[in-house]
Amino acid sequence: MNFLAPGAFFLGLLLPVIVAFYLLKLRRIEQNIPSIYLWRRMVRDVEANAPWQKLRYNLLMLLQLLFLAVLILALARPFTWTQGASGQAAILIVDSSASMSATDMAPTRLEAARQRARQLVDDLPDSARVTVIEAGGEAQVRLSSSLDRRQAHLAIESIQPGTGGSDLGVALELASAIAARQPGTEIIVLSDGRVTLPERLTIKGRLRYLPFGLNGDNQAVSLLNLEPAPGGSGLTAFAQVSNFADTPVSRRLALYADGLLVNVYDLTDIPAGGQQAVLAEGLPYNTRLVEARLEGNASQPEGGDILALDDQALTIQPVADPLEVVMVSSGNLFLRTALSLLPGIQLTELDPSQLQPALESTPAATAQATAQPTATAASLAPLTLPAADLFIFDGYVPDTLPDSGSLLFIAPVRSTPFFTTTGLVESPTPRALDPEDPLLNNLAFDQVSVFESIEIPLPDWALPVIAGDTDEGSTNLLMRGTTGGRRVAVMTFALYNSDLPLNVAFPLLIANLVDWLAPGAGSPIPATLPAGESLSVSAPEGVQSASITRPDGSTTQLEADDGRFVFSDTSQLGLYEISLQQGESTQTLPFTVNLFSPQESNLKPADQLPGLESAAGLSGSLAQAGQREWWRPLAFLALGLLVGEWLVYQRAALARLRDLVRQSLPSLRAVRTRR
Amino acid sequence: MAETFFSEEFLQRLERLALAARHALPGQMQGERRSPKRGQSVEFSDFRPYVAGDDFRRIDWNAYARLERFFIKLFVEEEDLTVHFLVDTSRSMDWGQPNKLEYARKVAGALGYVALSGLDRVTVTGLGGAKNGAGVVFPPQRGKRQALALFSFLQALTPPGNGAAPNPGQQLRAYAASHARPGVVVVLSDLMHDGWMDGLRSLASGRHEISVIHILAPEERNPQLNGDLKLIDSEDNLEVEITADYDLLARYRQNLEEWQAGLRAFCSSRNISYVPVETTLDLDDLLFAWLQRQGVLR
Repeated sequence: MNFLAPGAFFLGLLLPVIVAFYLLKLRRIEQNIPSIYLWRRMVRDVEANAPWQKLRYNLLMLLQLLFLAVLILALARPFTWTQGASGQAAILIVDSSASMSATDMAPTRLEAARQRARQLVDDLPDSARVTVIEAGGEAQVRLSSSLDRRQAHLAIESIQPGTGGSDLGVALELASAIAARQPGTEIIVLSDGRVTLPERLTIKGRLRYLPFGLNGDNQAVSLLNLEPAPGGSGLTAFAQVSNFADTPVSRRLALYADGLLVNVYDLTDIPAGGQQAVLAEGLPYNTRLVEARLEGNASQPEGGDILALDDQALTIQPVADPLEVVMVSSGNLFLRTALSLLPGIQLTELDPSQLQPALESTPAATAQATAQPTATAASLAPLTLPAADLFIFDGYVPDTLPDSGSLLFIAPVRSTPFFTTTGLVESPTPRALDPEDPLLNNLAFDQVSVFESIEIPLPDWALPVIAGDTDEGSTNLLMRGTTGGRRVAVMTFALYNSDLPLNVAFPLLIANLVDWLAPGAGSPIPATLPAGESLSVSAPEGVQSASITRPDGSTTQLEADDGRFVFSDTSQLGLYEISLQQGESTQTLPFTVNLFSPQESNLKPADQLPGLESAAGLSGSLAQAGQREWWRPLAFLALGLLVGEWLVYQRAALARLRDLVRQSLPSLRAVRTRR
Repeated sequence: MAETFFSEEFLQRLERLALAARHALPGQMQGERRSPKRGQSVEFSDFRPYVAGDDFRRIDWNAYARLERFFIKLFVEEEDLTVHFLVDTSRSMDWGQPNKLEYARKVAGALGYVALSGLDRVTVTGLGGAKNGAGVVFPPQRGKRQALALFSFLQALTPPGNGAAPNPGQQLRAYAASHARPGVVVVLSDLMHDGWMDGLRSLASGRHEISVIHILAPEERNPQLNGDLKLIDSEDNLEVEITADYDLLARYRQNLEEWQAGLRAFCSSRNISYVPVETTLDLDDLLFAWLQRQGVLR
C-alpha cells in the first residue's frame, strides 16, 4: 500500500494528546450534599465493579484513538496499484460487434467487458473525466468527458450487443481526437480484437487494450445460396459451414425450405480453419425461403458453439427479373458476344437505320456536326426505343434519348445533353486513374492501345476512369457518373479503333460496366446482405415511398431520394421485406441479412490489436497502471467509529430511552389486546 | 409560639389522637395508661390471699362470705407513660426542600402534643448536638401546659456548628443506659450514619417501645445530579467523586431501596416500628393516616 499524502501521518502526534487527556485528572464540579453516606455505599458497589467500569472508560478512549488513527490513514490517501486507469481522463471504447456476443465468458463477452468497464470507472480517480465510446457497426460516443459516474454507468449500460462488425478505427480516431485535447488521457479498448484497423493509425494518448474472450470454438454457416439448377429442375441450395476452432469438429446442419425440414447433414471432421459445403438439389421451384441451421452434432443434437448469431442463415430465391438491355449498333460482334456471356441479360439489338430510316450521312462524317439535319419524310416509320434498364449506343446517338434507364455511349458521334464532343484525339495512351474504381474491378488496362478517340471534355457530373495521355496533354477515354438519377458511362473510342476487344480486359470491362450501370444484375435487390450493410434499391417509376418490414415485425417507411431507396438499419439478422406501392399493386421484395462475416465468426481473441502492436504509446495491456484509492472506505469507517464513540458516550441517554420503551411497551400491548 | 408552630384547629384535632403503646408500660405517676402494676383504678384485675399488713379496706367481703377466707381485690393501676423523642439534629438533617429537620421538629411537636394531652410524660433529646454527645435535652414534663415549652424547645433545636459529628450509636447507647425505665421512644432521623443501627440495637435491648420515623428529603430519594461531580459531605467534609449519569442514578435509587429494606428488616426483627417518610408528605396525612396505620397513633 502506498500513500498519496504521507504528510498526514504527522497528525499521528495527536494520538498521545488523547491519551494525555485521559491521564489528566478530570476537573469535577463540587457539590455539597447532606451526606455522602448513601453515595459511599454506592462507591463501594462501584469499586466492586471497577474493572468493568475502567474498561468502559477505556473503551471510549480506545474508540477515540481508533477514530483518529483511521482518520489520519484516510487523510494520507492510501492507494493500491490496480489494473485500472490512472490518467486524468479515460476513454473507454467498448466493442459491441457480433463477436462480442460469444458466450465463452459468462454470460457474454460484451457483458464481461461492460462489467470491466464499470469497474474501471469506479476505480478512476474522482477528478478523471470519462468518455464512453461504443464501437459497433458505427462508432458512437455514449458519454463525452463527464465526471458523473452514474451517467458513465448508464452509458455503459446502454451498450447493447450488435450484429455487425466493429468500427474500432473510427472509434480510435474519435478517442484520439478527444485525447489530443486532454493531456494525460488514457484510451482503454475493451474488445476481443476481432477488428480491422486502418493502416497508419496514429493515436494520441496512452492506449491500452483489454482483450476479452477465452477461445474460438465456433462454427458458422458462412455461405448460403439458392439458385436455379442448371437443368431447370428445381432449385439448388448451397451451404457452407466454416470451422473457426483449433480442432476438427463434427456438426449437424439442418436445412429448411419455407419452414419445412428438408434434410439434416452430419458434417464430420470439419478441419480446423476449413470449411465443408453442402449441396441440396431438387428443391421445389417455388421455394421462397431457405434456412440453414447448425444444430450441435450427431452425438449431441442440442449442443452448440459459443456464438449463436452465425449458426443460422437465411436466403431467398433471387427474383428472376432479367436485365433488359437495348443495344443500338450497326453490328458489333465483340459487344454482342461480351453481353451474351453475362447471365440474366435480355438483349435487344437494334440497328440505327431502324430508328432513323432517313439516315444519309455516315456516323464518322457527322462526328463534328452539332445538329442533325431535320429528317425528311420517310417511307418507313421509325421505330421507337423500347423501355429497358440499360441502353447501349455504339457509334450512334438518337435524336431523342430515352427518358429512363442507364446509358452507355460508345464513341458518340455528336453532342448530347450529357456531354459535348469537341474533336478527335490521335493515339492516346490509356491510363487507369483509380484502380479501386468499380469499373476497373479485376482488370488491367495497360496492355491496351487506342488508335483514335473522340475528345469530350469532362462534364461536371462525370468521374474520369481511364485517361488517355497524348503529347499535347490528356483526354478522357472512359468516364462515368450519375446525373438526373440515371447512371451514364461514356467510352470515347470506337471498339474497332482499339485492340481492347482482343484483350482479356474487354469482357471484364463490359461486365463491370453492366454491373455498375444496372446494379442488381436482374434483381432490384441482392438476395442477402451482410449485417450492418446498407441497402440501395432503385425506385421504379412513380414510386415515391416504400415500407420495410424487419425480422422482428417492425416497419419503417422509406422515401425515395434521387430515385433510390436507401435503408441502412440492417442490424437484425433474418428476413426483411420491402413493399413498393405502385398504384393498385404492391410489389414485395424480400431480402435476408446474415452475419456471413469470417471476421466476426472467428472468435479467437487477439492478444494485440491488429496493426497497432508497434503503434506509439501502446502500453502492456495488463500493466498495473491504475491506482485504487482507499480513503473512502476509511472515511466511512472513521464515521462509524465516531458514531460508535458517541453512542458509548451517550449510553445513559440510550439506557433512559430503553427504559422508556420498556415501560411503554406493556401499556401499548395492553392497548392492543383491548382492541 | 404555638401559633406559628401549629394552628389552634390543628391542635384540637391532635387532642383526639393518642399515642398507642403496644404493651402496658410502668409509669411514675398516676396517669391514664394501664400499668403492669396493680393499683387503685376502677378496673378489676385479680384476687390474691390476704396477708398481714394489707389494707383490709380492699378485702372482698363477698368472697369471704362464700369461702370464709380473706381475699384482697386487686385493680389495674393506671399510670402515666414517658414518651422519649430523639431528634437527629445533625447537619445532614438541616437540608432538603422541605427541610428534614424542620419536618422532624413538627412531627416531634405534634406527637409531643398528643402525648402531653394524654397526660403522658414527654422528653425530647436533640441528638447530634456536639456537647459531649449528651445532646440538648427537654426534661420530662407532663400536661398540656407544657406544650408551649416543648414547642419553643423544638424551635430552638439547630444543627451544631463545625466540628466532628458525634456518633449516634454512642449517644443512643448512653441514652439507653440512663433511661432504663421502659417508655415509648420515637426516633426522628435520616439514619445516615452506621452508628444508628448500633444505637437502635442497644435501645431495643431495654424494654422501650421504639418507633423510627425515617425522614428523607425528595432530593435524596431522587437526586438531581448530572455530570462529573465531587460530592462533599455536609457533616464531615468527606468527598466522593462520581460521574452522575442515568445508570449511576438508577443504581443509586436501587441502592436506597435496598438500604431501606435492610433497615425495615432490622427494625422488624427487633420489634421496632419503622416508618419511612419523605418530607413532601403532608403532616396531616402523616399523623391522621400514616402513623395510625403503622400503629404509632390511635
